[in-house]
Amino acid sequence: MIREETVFVVDDDPGVLKALTRLLRSSGYAVAPFSSPLAFLDRHDPAVSGCLVLDVAMPGLNGLELQQRLAQKGNCCAIVFISGHGDVPKSVQAMKAGAVDFLTKPFSDVELLEAVDIAIGKSRAARQVDHERKLMQQRFTSLTSREREVFEHVISGQLNKLIATDLGTVEKTVKVHRARVMHKMGAATFADLVRMAERMGIRPARPSPHL
Amino acid sequence: MNNSRHSSAIPIPELAPAGKVHLHDRLAARVPRLAFAAAIVAAVYYAGARIGFALTFEPHPISVLWPPNALLFAAMLLVPARFWWLIVLAALPAHLVAELQSGVPMPMVLGWFASNCSEALIAAAGVRWLVREPLQLDSFRHVGVFLLCGVLLAPLLSSFLDVALVTLIGWRQADFWELVRLRFFSNALATLIIVPLILTWANSSWEALHKVSFGRRIETGALFLGLLATCVFIFEQETASTNMPALLYAPLPFLLWAAVRLGSRGISTSLFAVAILVIWGALHGQGPFAAGTAEENARSVQLFLITVAVPLLLLAAVMEERKKTQDALQISEERALKVFRAGPDPMIIVRLSDGEIIDVNDRWESTFGYSRSEATGRSTAEIGIYANQEDRQVYLGLSAKEYIRNFEVDLVDRNGDVHHTILSGDRVEVAGTKCLITVIRDVTLQKRTEREAEEQRLELMHLSRVVMLGELSGALAHELNQPLTAILSNAQAAQRLLARDGINAQDLREILQDIVSEDRRAGEVIRRLRALFKKSETQFQTVNANDLINEALTLAHGHLTTRSIHVVTEFSEHPVVTRADRVQLQQVLLNLVVNACEAMDTPGSTRVLTIRTAPSADSYVQILVVDGGPGIAAEQMEKLFDPFVTTKPQGLGLGLSISRSIVAAHGGQLLVRNNPDRGATFRLMLPAYTGV
Repeated sequence: MIREETVFVVDDDPGVLKALTRLLRSSGYAVAPFSSPLAFLDRHDPAVSGCLVLDVAMPGLNGLELQQRLAQKGNCCAIVFISGHGDVPKSVQAMKAGAVDFLTKPFSDVELLEAVDIAIGKSRAARQVDHERKLMQQRFTSLTSREREVFEHVISGQLNKLIATDLGTVEKTVKVHRARVMHKMGAATFADLVRMAERMGIRPARPSPHL
Repeated sequence: MNNSRHSSAIPIPELAPAGKVHLHDRLAARVPRLAFAAAIVAAVYYAGARIGFALTFEPHPISVLWPPNALLFAAMLLVPARFWWLIVLAALPAHLVAELQSGVPMPMVLGWFASNCSEALIAAAGVRWLVREPLQLDSFRHVGVFLLCGVLLAPLLSSFLDVALVTLIGWRQADFWELVRLRFFSNALATLIIVPLILTWANSSWEALHKVSFGRRIETGALFLGLLATCVFIFEQETASTNMPALLYAPLPFLLWAAVRLGSRGISTSLFAVAILVIWGALHGQGPFAAGTAEENARSVQLFLITVAVPLLLLAAVMEERKKTQDALQISEERALKVFRAGPDPMIIVRLSDGEIIDVNDRWESTFGYSRSEATGRSTAEIGIYANQEDRQVYLGLSAKEYIRNFEVDLVDRNGDVHHTILSGDRVEVAGTKCLITVIRDVTLQKRTEREAEEQRLELMHLSRVVMLGELSGALAHELNQPLTAILSNAQAAQRLLARDGINAQDLREILQDIVSEDRRAGEVIRRLRALFKKSETQFQTVNANDLINEALTLAHGHLTTRSIHVVTEFSEHPVVTRADRVQLQQVLLNLVVNACEAMDTPGSTRVLTIRTAPSADSYVQILVVDGGPGIAAEQMEKLFDPFVTTKPQGLGLGLSISRSIVAAHGGQLLVRNNPDRGATFRLMLPAYTGV
């Protein structure tokens, strides 16, 4: 069972780091171990998808501070916290900031692997969403300015005839543009197109007032 | 002569030095007493002159015994020199009256007065010059001075003066040298017989006389009766019947008896009595001294009395001196014995040659439970008071020295109870044998008190350590959870690999190796914790400061990491070794680390803890614990090391106080000062260990 995602492990304790790396690898994960948060920030590849197993108590930059930094950078990597002792305020803070789980050492393989699975799933979903949005954005930018105008008018639910009037053209032309927009955006139906517009935050054009 | 302590035959004016302001008043107050004294001198002088005339063996021109000069001499010895003029002045009218009665011309009378006074003055001045204190005839030296000045020099010199004056005035009726000789013997005898009598009785106090024992009174009475009877029998008999020269020695036993037993006063009185009887007999033509011519008789009497008196006076003085020395020795011996017997510490005297006990004191008896009779004649080994026989050997070995001090040893009493003692020994000679006198100081109670205090200190130290470990409990759990996590994850990784059948022997070996080392790591944490939790006696051992710091940091690791505190260690390359109790120093270091962490919880702190070791020039090992906190406020600085001063809500406030006491017990110092930029530095100084 080979997975494409990488599990990043950050723990300042070399023994723990080595053991966790070994456990995760034995479960088929690709593992990238780091002995400090700063080393992780310096060297990890944000393009690689996966999740982060992060120790809370570390000298210098601690786990929660790393979580904040990553959030600021817009890194959506899901985090599983591990801690030497159950610290309720810290676990609450971590969970609020979006952590997947907060495990207290020592934990069993099942606990860790479940949490990692969930985290990876979450990462994957987030990546999927992200990927789609980026694709859409890409397609949208490939539209000509006339096509964008037609896009905006189409999603407002106006008939082609009215759109043509609005844009000062003929209905036939609008139809051609509309078909080209649907094709370029990869939308099968009108509903698809409306959803895409919503995701991209594109507002429908208002009908002209002369009508 | 200071007469204030004695009643005196002659009343003497108050001798205390007079203040200048009241000199006249004081003199005025003294006039009656001075006049009385002068009158007595005059009367005695007159009487003496009359007696002197009476004791003249007619037709022999000079008295056998001429008392006036001796009386003046005695009077001068009894008063301070500044009153001698009064004595001379008082004697003049008496002299005139006495002499003018015998029809001697005035120049001769005055000449004799001059020679008489000169004799007394020479004798008195000589004595005063050679003896700076009152003349005591119970001192051999004083008697010697008295004989030299009073009996030899003064009569001799004044006799030359006297005979010269007699010749000058033209009154000389005999040969010059003959006259000198006659006058010399007459006055020497008078001084020898009269002056000791007056001095010894003048120096006697009535109280002392009253205290004389009954036995001594009987003895004195018997002696004088015997002496008088013998003298009367020998000197007051018809001359023919007592012509045996050997009989002269008959009074000698009584005189010796007086000299040996009754001292200078007894012999003076006896000699006086014998002289009176001898002269009386001779005057009345009786006894052995009436056989020849008047001149021969006078010379015989004089020679006999002088040769008897001189050695006897000296003998009495020697006897009294010996008695005084003996008394002093006896007193000092009695005192020493009393000190030994009643001494507050046990004492024992042991013969050095064979270790036999010669004597023990009361306290020794009560301390060790053996009576003196049980102890003496046996050795300390036989009694078995040493807990370890080797100690006895060592102690007796040390006795080759003159003295032994502070020899610590355990001794056992009769009941088997052990006494911690400190021995001090001195070599002494007892009845000619070399002995060792040992004073035993029982310090059992003192030791017990010290031990109790030490136990309480350890108790308090332990309590404070446990409180500190309680504060660290979360972090310590962390320190155990780390290896446990590693062990569990390693083991479960192995299980998974085995389940998948994808493990090779090499991987498995590595995993097992890691499990073993992580387990050891957990075990080490537990071991260190147990040492800290345990209440143990202080144990000094050689300790490397760097190792000690690493151990403390291992235990505090969780505490530091949960606070995201970065630790920097700067270890000295030179040896930083000290003698210390590991656990106690661990406690001090942990305490300093925990305090530093607390200080750095303050917002705005630099979260860096620096621990540095360095040898110092004055042979100390220094450990510096530098925090990045806000530093210590001035008002806190003063009482930082006081007990029960704390900034923590649950703290006992004992941490630093106990840390300092631990460091002090190690012969070191724990100091603190604020850093110039931020935070504080605790400086732990411990004596460097260099020896093997």
